[in-house]
Amino acid sequence: MKLYAHCLIEDLDAFDTSTRGISGAAVRLLQIDELAVLVTDFNADTVAVTRENALDHASVVRSVLDRTTPLPFRFGTLVTEQQLRSYISARKPALQTRFAHVRGCVEMSVKIIREVSEDKAEARDEITSGTSFLEEKRRELLGSEQKTIEASEIRTWLHDHVDGLIRDEQVTTRPSEKLVLAAAHLVERAKIPQYKERMAAARKNRPELHFLFSGPWPPYSFANIELEFKTQFGVS
Amino acid sequence: MSSSFDQIIVSEEWESSELSLLETLDHVLNRGLVIAGEITISVADIDLIFIGLNVLVSSVETAHEVLRKR
Repeated sequence: MKLYAHCLIEDLDAFDTSTRGISGAAVRLLQIDELAVLVTDFNADTVAVTRENALDHASVVRSVLDRTTPLPFRFGTLVTEQQLRSYISARKPALQTRFAHVRGCVEMSVKIIREVSEDKAEARDEITSGTSFLEEKRRELLGSEQKTIEASEIRTWLHDHVDGLIRDEQVTTRPSEKLVLAAAHLVERAKIPQYKERMAAARKNRPELHFLFSGPWPPYSFANIELEFKTQFGVS
Repeated sequence: MSSSFDQIIVSEEWESSELSLLETLDHVLNRGLVIAGEITISVADIDLIFIGLNVLVSSVETAHEVLRKR
């Protein structure tokens, strides 16, 4: 019998015993030292990536968010109880440091999308000589540099709007793609209204960009304490 | 606790339950605490492999297109 781990919490009173996890299974609290993990008993060897399972996972993690800030496990975390106990005992200092970092906060997500010009393909059709080929290559390089500069400018611009309001951020830019920036902001709960106001103002200032805001989330982007992991994809 | 924590917020521009689902998938599948070697998932349900950021953009564009045609 394995355990499906949803999230780690430090406030044991935040758990609601009526919570249901993946496939409707009852969620229980597994206390390990002064921390606790929300787990369900799980009989299979893999967890199917289905809409229902993903939403069930998110629902369990979210069920404690009103009362505490959990450290969510990534979807598909299947372990034995012994593995879970060993993991938490061995990494307790790092986990406690992480709890201290996210305590009292939630994650807010911002995705920025921009239009990308399609003139490259048209220009390629006009190539008739070596010179025009080199000119086209030069245009491509300059265009790429320009996109990198623009992505960097958007990143700085967004950061300036949330500066002083966030405890931490994870930002990814993709200069050549339409989804040019994805950011996760760690925001203290009391500052959420102010954060929303600033984002609304920022959006009005850049009508050429499209924005997708979401939140508040449990701090998925700020939970991990290690970068090394192995993912097993079992196609069933 | 504020009632603002009761519901996921999605952009006013493309508000839809599908985007909310995509954002949920983006969070639970791509992020979170990882115990070394213990992520074991099955990807048999091809219809639901629309999790990547590029597909998210496609969904946003589709939603935008639908809104424009209204």
